[in-house]
Amino acid sequence: MTEQQLQEREHYASLLEKVAESQDTLAFQGIYDHFGPMIKAFGVSSGLHYQGDHLPEELVQEVMMTIWRKAGQFDRRKAAPSTWIFTIARNQRIDMLRKLSKYQNDVDADDVWDLEGDTDLFGEVRETRIQAHVKSELNKLPIEQKQIVAKVFLEDKSHQEVASELNLPLGTVKSRVRLAMQKLKTQLGATEL
Amino acid sequence: MSNWHPSHDQLIEFSTGTGSSAMSIAISTHLHFCQACRLQVSDTESMAAVFFEQQTEADLDAGGFDKLMERLKQEPAPAPQPKRAPSRFPPVVEKLIHQDTESLDWRSPMKNLRVSRLFTDETGLILGLHHMRSGGRVPHHTHRGNEISVVIEGGFSDEMGSYGPGDFIHLSKEHHHSPQADADGDCWMLSLVEAPVRLTGPLGWVLNPFIKA
Repeated sequence: MTEQQLQEREHYASLLEKVAESQDTLAFQGIYDHFGPMIKAFGVSSGLHYQGDHLPEELVQEVMMTIWRKAGQFDRRKAAPSTWIFTIARNQRIDMLRKLSKYQNDVDADDVWDLEGDTDLFGEVRETRIQAHVKSELNKLPIEQKQIVAKVFLEDKSHQEVASELNLPLGTVKSRVRLAMQKLKTQLGATEL
Repeated sequence: MSNWHPSHDQLIEFSTGTGSSAMSIAISTHLHFCQACRLQVSDTESMAAVFFEQQTEADLDAGGFDKLMERLKQEPAPAPQPKRAPSRFPPVVEKLIHQDTESLDWRSPMKNLRVSRLFTDETGLILGLHHMRSGGRVPHHTHRGNEISVVIEGGFSDEMGSYGPGDFIHLSKEHHHSPQADADGDCWMLSLVEAPVRLTGPLGWVLNPFIKA
Protein backbone atom coordinates (compact mmCIF):
# COMPACT_ATOMS: atom_id res chain seq x y z
CA MET A 1 0.00 0.00 0.00
CA THR A 2 1.36 3.41 -0.84
CA GLU A 3 2.25 5.91 1.84
CA GLN A 4 -0.69 8.04 0.78
CA GLN A 5 -3.16 5.19 1.10
CA LEU A 6 -1.86 4.33 4.55
CA GLN A 7 -2.14 7.95 5.64
CA GLU A 8 -5.69 8.10 4.36
CA ARG A 9 -6.58 4.98 6.29
CA GLU A 10 -5.09 6.41 9.49
CA HIS A 11 -6.83 9.73 8.90
CA TYR A 12 -10.33 8.24 8.69
CA ALA A 13 -9.60 5.86 11.57
CA SER A 14 -8.79 8.92 13.69
CA LEU A 15 -11.99 10.67 12.61
CA LEU A 16 -14.05 7.61 13.62
CA GLU A 17 -12.31 7.57 17.00
CA LYS A 18 -13.10 11.26 17.51
CA VAL A 19 -16.77 10.59 16.78
CA ALA A 20 -16.70 7.76 19.33
CA GLU A 21 -14.88 9.72 22.01
CA SER A 22 -16.48 13.14 21.79
CA GLN A 23 -19.33 13.07 19.25
CA ASP A 24 -17.16 15.37 17.15
CA THR A 25 -19.43 16.66 14.38
CA LEU A 26 -16.58 18.08 12.34
CA ALA A 27 -14.92 14.66 12.23
CA PHE A 28 -18.32 13.15 11.41
CA GLN A 29 -18.73 15.54 8.51
CA GLY A 30 -15.29 14.53 7.23
CA ILE A 31 -16.49 10.92 7.17
CA TYR A 32 -19.76 11.90 5.50
CA ASP A 33 -18.03 13.89 2.77
CA HIS A 34 -15.60 11.08 1.98
CA PHE A 35 -17.72 7.95 2.36
CA GLY A 36 -21.21 9.34 1.66
CA PRO A 37 -20.73 9.38 -2.15
CA MET A 38 -19.40 5.79 -2.04
CA ILE A 39 -22.36 4.59 0.02
CA LYS A 40 -24.75 6.27 -2.39
CA ALA A 41 -22.98 4.72 -5.39
CA PHE A 42 -23.23 1.34 -3.66
CA GLY A 43 -26.99 1.90 -3.22
CA VAL A 44 -27.32 2.72 -6.90
CA SER A 45 -25.21 -0.30 -7.97
CA SER A 46 -27.48 -2.43 -5.81
CA GLY A 47 -30.49 -1.17 -7.74
CA LEU A 48 -32.09 0.47 -4.69
CA HIS A 49 -33.33 3.36 -6.83
CA TYR A 50 -35.57 0.94 -8.76
CA GLN A 51 -37.50 0.44 -5.51
CA GLY A 52 -37.69 4.16 -4.78
CA ASP A 53 -35.78 7.19 -6.10
CA HIS A 54 -34.91 8.36 -2.61
CA LEU A 55 -33.51 5.03 -1.36
CA PRO A 56 -29.81 5.44 -2.28
CA GLU A 57 -29.77 8.75 -0.37
CA GLU A 58 -31.72 7.12 2.45
CA LEU A 59 -29.07 4.39 2.58
CA VAL A 60 -26.43 7.08 3.11
CA GLN A 61 -28.46 8.53 5.99
CA GLU A 62 -29.05 5.14 7.61
CA VAL A 63 -25.41 4.08 7.29
CA MET A 64 -24.18 7.40 8.68
CA MET A 65 -26.57 7.15 11.64
CA THR A 66 -25.25 3.66 12.35
CA ILE A 67 -21.68 4.96 12.15
CA TRP A 68 -22.58 7.67 14.68
CA ARG A 69 -24.15 5.16 17.07
CA LYS A 70 -21.56 2.41 16.69
CA ALA A 71 -18.36 4.40 16.27
CA GLY A 72 -17.29 3.05 19.67
CA GLN A 73 -17.14 -0.43 18.17
CA PHE A 74 -14.70 0.59 15.44
CA ASP A 75 -11.25 -0.78 16.16
CA ARG A 76 -8.46 0.23 13.81
CA ARG A 77 -6.50 -2.87 14.74
CA LYS A 78 -9.31 -5.06 13.36
CA ALA A 79 -10.46 -3.32 10.21
CA ALA A 80 -9.80 -0.47 7.83
CA PRO A 81 -12.40 2.33 7.99
CA SER A 82 -13.48 1.40 4.44
CA THR A 83 -14.04 -2.25 5.39
CA TRP A 84 -15.95 -1.36 8.54
CA ILE A 85 -18.16 1.07 6.63
CA PHE A 86 -18.64 -1.37 3.74
CA THR A 87 -19.97 -4.01 6.16
CA ILE A 88 -22.38 -1.48 7.69
CA ALA A 89 -23.60 -0.48 4.23
CA ARG A 90 -24.07 -4.14 3.27
CA ASN A 91 -26.10 -4.82 6.43
CA GLN A 92 -28.23 -1.70 6.00
CA ARG A 93 -28.92 -2.63 2.39
CA ILE A 94 -30.10 -6.06 3.49
CA ASP A 95 -32.38 -4.61 6.18
CA MET A 96 -33.74 -2.00 3.77
CA LEU A 97 -34.55 -4.57 1.09
CA ARG A 98 -36.08 -6.88 3.65
CA LYS A 99 -38.38 -4.14 4.94
CA LEU A 100 -39.57 -3.59 1.37
CA SER A 101 -40.36 -7.26 0.78
CA LYS A 102 -43.02 -9.47 2.26
CA TYR A 103 -40.47 -11.96 3.50
CA GLN A 104 -39.70 -10.86 6.99
CA ASN A 105 -38.52 -12.51 10.10
CA ASP A 106 -37.40 -11.00 13.34
CA VAL A 107 -33.71 -11.48 12.62
CA ASP A 108 -31.84 -8.30 11.64
CA ALA A 109 -28.79 -8.27 9.41
CA ASP A 110 -26.65 -7.40 12.45
CA ASP A 111 -27.71 -10.66 14.10
CA VAL A 112 -26.48 -12.61 11.08
CA TRP A 113 -23.49 -10.53 10.02
CA ASP A 114 -22.20 -9.86 13.49
CA LEU A 115 -20.27 -6.58 13.59
CA GLU A 116 -18.92 -7.46 16.99
CA GLY A 117 -17.50 -10.77 15.85
CA ASP A 118 -14.00 -11.43 17.01
CA THR A 119 -11.58 -11.00 14.16
CA ASP A 120 -8.79 -9.94 16.52
CA LEU A 121 -6.40 -12.60 15.49
CA PHE A 122 -6.54 -11.67 11.81
CA GLY A 123 -5.61 -8.12 12.38
CA GLU A 124 -4.50 -5.04 10.63
CA VAL A 125 -1.36 -6.41 9.01
CA ARG A 126 -3.16 -9.14 7.14
CA GLU A 127 -5.88 -6.77 5.99
CA THR A 128 -3.42 -4.11 4.87
CA ARG A 129 -1.59 -6.71 2.79
CA ILE A 130 -4.78 -7.97 1.20
CA GLN A 131 -6.02 -4.50 0.31
CA ALA A 132 -2.65 -3.42 -1.07
CA HIS A 133 -2.53 -6.53 -3.20
CA VAL A 134 -6.08 -6.11 -4.49
CA LYS A 135 -5.31 -2.50 -5.43
CA SER A 136 -2.20 -3.44 -7.38
CA GLU A 137 -3.69 -6.52 -9.10
CA LEU A 138 -7.17 -5.25 -9.86
CA ASN A 139 -6.29 -3.64 -13.14
CA LYS A 140 -4.37 -6.68 -14.32
CA LEU A 141 -7.44 -8.89 -14.14
CA PRO A 142 -9.05 -9.92 -17.42
CA ILE A 143 -12.03 -7.66 -17.94
CA GLU A 144 -14.57 -10.50 -17.78
CA GLN A 145 -13.27 -11.54 -14.36
CA LYS A 146 -13.14 -8.02 -13.01
CA GLN A 147 -16.67 -7.29 -14.23
CA ILE A 148 -18.09 -10.40 -12.59
CA VAL A 149 -16.36 -9.83 -9.26
CA ALA A 150 -17.54 -6.21 -9.21
CA LYS A 151 -21.11 -7.40 -9.77
CA VAL A 152 -20.88 -9.95 -6.98
CA PHE A 153 -19.28 -7.46 -4.56
CA LEU A 154 -21.36 -4.38 -5.24
CA GLU A 155 -24.55 -5.11 -7.15
CA ASP A 156 -26.46 -7.27 -4.71
CA LYS A 157 -26.48 -10.17 -7.13
CA SER A 158 -26.00 -13.80 -6.25
CA HIS A 159 -23.83 -15.94 -8.53
CA GLN A 160 -27.04 -17.29 -10.06
CA GLU A 161 -28.36 -13.80 -10.78
CA VAL A 162 -25.07 -12.77 -12.38
CA ALA A 163 -25.18 -15.92 -14.51
CA SER A 164 -28.72 -15.13 -15.69
CA GLU A 165 -27.90 -11.51 -16.42
CA LEU A 166 -24.78 -12.33 -18.45
CA ASN A 167 -26.34 -15.41 -19.99
CA LEU A 168 -23.52 -17.62 -18.73
CA PRO A 169 -23.65 -21.03 -17.08
CA LEU A 170 -23.57 -20.83 -13.28
CA GLY A 171 -20.38 -22.91 -13.24
CA THR A 172 -18.61 -20.36 -15.43
CA VAL A 173 -19.54 -17.52 -13.09
CA LYS A 174 -18.38 -19.49 -10.06
CA SER A 175 -15.06 -20.39 -11.66
CA ARG A 176 -14.39 -16.84 -12.89
CA VAL A 177 -15.05 -15.47 -9.41
CA ARG A 178 -12.80 -18.11 -7.90
CA LEU A 179 -10.01 -17.42 -10.39
CA ALA A 180 -10.23 -13.69 -9.88
CA MET A 181 -10.21 -14.02 -6.11
CA GLN A 182 -7.18 -16.30 -6.29
CA LYS A 183 -5.28 -13.72 -8.31
CA LEU A 184 -6.29 -10.89 -5.99
CA LYS A 185 -5.23 -12.87 -2.97
CA THR A 186 -2.24 -14.64 -4.38
CA GLN A 187 0.25 -13.35 -1.79
CA LEU A 188 -1.48 -15.25 0.96
CA GLY A 189 -1.10 -18.55 -0.84
CA ALA A 190 -3.69 -20.59 -2.66
CA THR A 191 -4.26 -22.87 0.32
CA GLU A 192 -5.77 -20.01 2.24
CA LEU A 193 -8.51 -19.51 -0.31
CA MET B 1 -12.83 -26.65 14.60
CA SER B 2 -15.35 -27.98 12.20
CA ASN B 3 -14.53 -30.41 9.38
CA TRP B 4 -17.38 -29.70 7.00
CA HIS B 5 -17.69 -26.25 5.54
CA PRO B 6 -19.80 -24.08 3.24
CA SER B 7 -18.47 -23.92 -0.33
CA HIS B 8 -16.25 -21.09 -1.54
CA ASP B 9 -19.09 -19.41 -3.42
CA GLN B 10 -21.48 -19.75 -0.49
CA LEU B 11 -18.95 -17.89 1.69
CA ILE B 12 -18.55 -15.17 -0.94
CA GLU B 13 -22.31 -14.72 -1.21
CA PHE B 14 -22.45 -14.47 2.56
CA SER B 15 -19.67 -11.85 2.65
CA THR B 16 -21.36 -9.72 0.01
CA GLY B 17 -24.82 -10.16 1.51
CA THR B 18 -26.31 -11.73 -1.61
CA GLY B 19 -27.18 -15.18 -0.28
CA SER B 20 -30.76 -15.94 0.75
CA SER B 21 -31.88 -15.19 4.32
CA ALA B 22 -32.06 -18.81 5.44
CA MET B 23 -28.72 -19.70 3.82
CA SER B 24 -27.08 -16.67 5.46
CA ILE B 25 -28.35 -17.77 8.87
CA ALA B 26 -27.02 -21.30 8.31
CA ILE B 27 -23.61 -19.92 7.32
CA SER B 28 -23.57 -17.47 10.21
CA THR B 29 -24.22 -20.43 12.52
CA HIS B 30 -21.30 -22.32 11.00
CA LEU B 31 -19.05 -19.25 11.40
CA HIS B 32 -19.84 -19.22 15.11
CA PHE B 33 -17.86 -22.48 15.33
CA CYS B 34 -15.34 -22.10 12.50
CA GLN B 35 -12.42 -19.71 12.65
CA ALA B 36 -11.07 -20.73 9.22
CA CYS B 37 -14.29 -19.68 7.48
CA ARG B 38 -14.53 -16.49 9.56
CA LEU B 39 -11.09 -15.63 8.23
CA GLN B 40 -12.26 -16.17 4.64
CA VAL B 41 -15.30 -13.98 5.18
CA SER B 42 -13.19 -11.27 6.74
CA ASP B 43 -10.72 -11.42 3.81
CA THR B 44 -13.55 -11.21 1.29
CA GLU B 45 -14.96 -8.18 3.10
CA SER B 46 -11.54 -6.52 2.95
CA MET B 47 -11.40 -7.21 -0.79
CA ALA B 48 -14.93 -5.99 -1.41
CA ALA B 49 -14.08 -2.80 0.49
CA VAL B 50 -11.45 -1.98 -2.14
CA PHE B 51 -14.09 -2.26 -4.89
CA PHE B 52 -16.39 -0.18 -2.69
CA GLU B 53 -13.77 2.59 -2.43
CA GLN B 54 -12.99 2.56 -6.14
CA GLN B 55 -16.56 3.03 -7.34
CA THR B 56 -17.46 6.06 -9.40
CA GLU B 57 -18.88 8.20 -6.63
CA ALA B 58 -22.45 9.43 -6.69
CA ASP B 59 -23.19 13.07 -5.88
CA LEU B 60 -24.99 13.57 -2.61
CA ASP B 61 -28.13 15.68 -2.33
CA ALA B 62 -27.52 19.23 -1.11
CA GLY B 63 -28.28 19.65 2.58
CA GLY B 64 -27.89 15.95 3.30
CA PHE B 65 -25.49 16.45 6.19
CA ASP B 66 -27.73 19.00 7.92
CA LYS B 67 -30.67 16.65 7.56
CA LEU B 68 -28.57 13.88 9.08
CA MET B 69 -27.60 16.00 12.08
CA GLU B 70 -31.24 17.01 12.53
CA ARG B 71 -32.25 13.35 12.64
CA LEU B 72 -29.50 12.49 15.09
CA LYS B 73 -30.56 15.34 17.38
CA GLN B 74 -34.00 13.82 17.64
CA GLU B 75 -32.64 10.44 18.60
CA PRO B 76 -32.72 9.48 22.23
CA ALA B 77 -29.26 8.99 23.70
CA PRO B 78 -28.17 5.45 22.92
CA ALA B 79 -28.94 3.04 25.72
CA PRO B 80 -25.88 1.19 26.98
CA GLN B 81 -25.58 -2.09 25.09
CA PRO B 82 -26.57 -4.96 27.33
CA LYS B 83 -23.73 -7.41 27.67
CA ARG B 84 -24.63 -10.49 25.71
CA ALA B 85 -25.58 -13.29 28.07
CA PRO B 86 -23.73 -16.52 27.43
CA SER B 87 -26.05 -18.69 25.41
CA ARG B 88 -26.43 -22.37 24.70
CA PHE B 89 -26.78 -22.06 20.93
CA PRO B 90 -25.18 -19.47 18.60
CA PRO B 91 -26.87 -16.07 19.21
CA VAL B 92 -28.66 -16.00 15.85
CA VAL B 93 -30.25 -19.39 16.61
CA GLU B 94 -31.26 -18.25 20.10
CA LYS B 95 -33.00 -15.26 18.54
CA LEU B 96 -34.87 -17.47 16.07
CA ILE B 97 -36.12 -19.91 18.67
CA HIS B 98 -36.78 -17.22 21.30
CA GLN B 99 -34.50 -19.08 23.68
CA ASP B 100 -36.95 -21.87 24.24
CA THR B 101 -37.00 -25.06 22.20
CA GLU B 102 -40.00 -26.56 23.96
CA SER B 103 -42.51 -23.91 22.96
CA LEU B 104 -41.77 -24.51 19.26
CA ASP B 105 -44.20 -26.45 17.15
CA TRP B 106 -42.69 -29.94 16.80
CA ARG B 107 -43.53 -32.81 14.47
CA SER B 108 -41.97 -36.21 14.22
CA PRO B 109 -41.73 -37.26 10.57
CA MET B 110 -39.50 -40.27 11.28
CA LYS B 111 -38.62 -42.40 14.25
CA ASN B 112 -36.11 -40.75 16.62
CA LEU B 113 -36.32 -37.41 14.87
CA ARG B 114 -38.44 -34.37 15.60
CA VAL B 115 -38.40 -31.21 13.54
CA SER B 116 -39.68 -27.69 13.91
CA ARG B 117 -40.08 -25.29 11.01
CA LEU B 118 -38.66 -21.85 11.81
CA PHE B 119 -39.43 -19.96 8.60
CA THR B 120 -39.45 -20.11 4.81
CA ASP B 121 -37.32 -17.49 3.13
CA GLU B 122 -37.73 -15.45 -0.06
CA THR B 123 -36.18 -18.21 -2.20
CA GLY B 124 -38.37 -20.97 -0.79
CA LEU B 125 -35.69 -22.46 1.44
CA ILE B 126 -37.15 -23.81 4.66
CA LEU B 127 -35.08 -23.22 7.77
CA GLY B 128 -35.79 -25.70 10.53
CA LEU B 129 -34.51 -27.13 13.75
CA HIS B 130 -33.89 -30.88 14.04
CA HIS B 131 -33.57 -32.79 17.27
CA MET B 132 -32.37 -36.39 17.67
CA ARG B 133 -32.38 -38.11 21.05
CA SER B 134 -29.02 -39.41 22.17
CA GLY B 135 -28.27 -42.76 20.57
CA GLY B 136 -31.41 -42.64 18.43
CA ARG B 137 -31.20 -43.90 14.84
CA VAL B 138 -33.35 -42.35 12.11
CA PRO B 139 -34.64 -44.80 9.44
CA HIS B 140 -32.96 -44.93 6.04
CA HIS B 141 -34.04 -42.11 3.80
CA THR B 142 -32.80 -40.14 0.84
CA HIS B 143 -33.00 -36.47 -0.01
CA ARG B 144 -34.89 -35.59 -3.10
CA GLY B 145 -33.57 -32.05 -3.24
CA ASN B 146 -30.57 -30.43 -1.65
CA GLU B 147 -30.47 -30.27 2.08
CA ILE B 148 -27.96 -28.69 4.44
CA SER B 149 -27.57 -29.54 8.09
CA VAL B 150 -25.53 -27.54 10.57
CA VAL B 151 -24.87 -29.28 13.87
CA ILE B 152 -25.35 -26.85 16.75
CA GLU B 153 -25.07 -29.24 19.70
CA GLY B 154 -24.01 -32.86 20.11
CA GLY B 155 -23.22 -34.95 17.08
CA PHE B 156 -24.29 -37.82 14.85
CA SER B 157 -22.86 -40.37 12.45
CA ASP B 158 -24.06 -41.88 9.22
CA GLU B 159 -22.64 -44.03 6.45
CA MET B 160 -20.40 -41.18 5.29
CA GLY B 161 -18.84 -40.06 8.53
CA SER B 162 -19.37 -38.49 11.91
CA TYR B 163 -20.22 -34.89 12.59
CA GLY B 164 -19.95 -32.46 15.47
CA PRO B 165 -20.80 -28.86 16.37
CA GLY B 166 -20.45 -26.42 13.47
CA ASP B 167 -20.25 -29.07 10.77
CA PHE B 168 -22.01 -27.83 7.64
CA ILE B 169 -23.20 -30.91 5.81
CA HIS B 170 -24.46 -30.87 2.22
CA LEU B 171 -26.85 -33.70 1.42
CA SER B 172 -28.26 -34.45 -2.00
CA LYS B 173 -30.28 -37.11 -3.70
CA GLU B 174 -27.19 -39.31 -3.95
CA HIS B 175 -27.19 -39.68 -0.20
CA HIS B 176 -29.15 -42.51 1.31
CA HIS B 177 -28.43 -42.52 4.96
CA SER B 178 -29.57 -43.56 8.37
CA PRO B 179 -28.12 -41.06 10.83
CA GLN B 180 -27.60 -41.99 14.46
CA ALA B 181 -27.14 -39.45 17.23
CA ASP B 182 -24.08 -39.85 19.43
CA ALA B 183 -24.70 -41.84 22.58
CA ASP B 184 -23.43 -39.18 24.98
CA GLY B 185 -26.05 -36.51 24.33
CA ASP B 186 -28.88 -35.28 22.14
CA CYS B 187 -28.07 -33.86 18.73
CA TRP B 188 -29.50 -30.51 17.62
CA MET B 189 -29.18 -29.19 14.09
CA LEU B 190 -30.30 -26.34 11.92
CA SER B 191 -31.56 -27.62 8.60
CA LEU B 192 -32.15 -26.05 5.22
CA VAL B 193 -34.46 -27.90 2.88
CA GLU B 194 -35.47 -26.98 -0.62
CA ALA B 195 -37.62 -29.98 -1.49
CA PRO B 196 -39.47 -32.80 0.23
CA VAL B 197 -37.50 -35.60 1.85
CA ARG B 198 -38.42 -39.08 0.60
CA LEU B 199 -38.28 -42.17 2.74
CA THR B 200 -36.80 -45.13 0.92
CA GLY B 201 -38.22 -47.78 3.20
CA PRO B 202 -40.49 -50.55 1.94
CA LEU B 203 -43.47 -48.24 1.96
CA GLY B 204 -41.78 -45.77 -0.35
CA TRP B 205 -43.76 -42.87 1.02
CA VAL B 206 -42.95 -39.32 0.23
CA LEU B 207 -43.05 -36.67 2.84
CA ASN B 208 -41.70 -33.29 3.67
CA PRO B 209 -40.76 -33.17 7.32
CA PHE B 210 -42.25 -29.69 7.60
CA ILE B 211 -45.64 -30.40 6.09
CA LYS B 212 -48.31 -32.30 7.91
CA ALA B 213 -48.74 -35.68 6.24
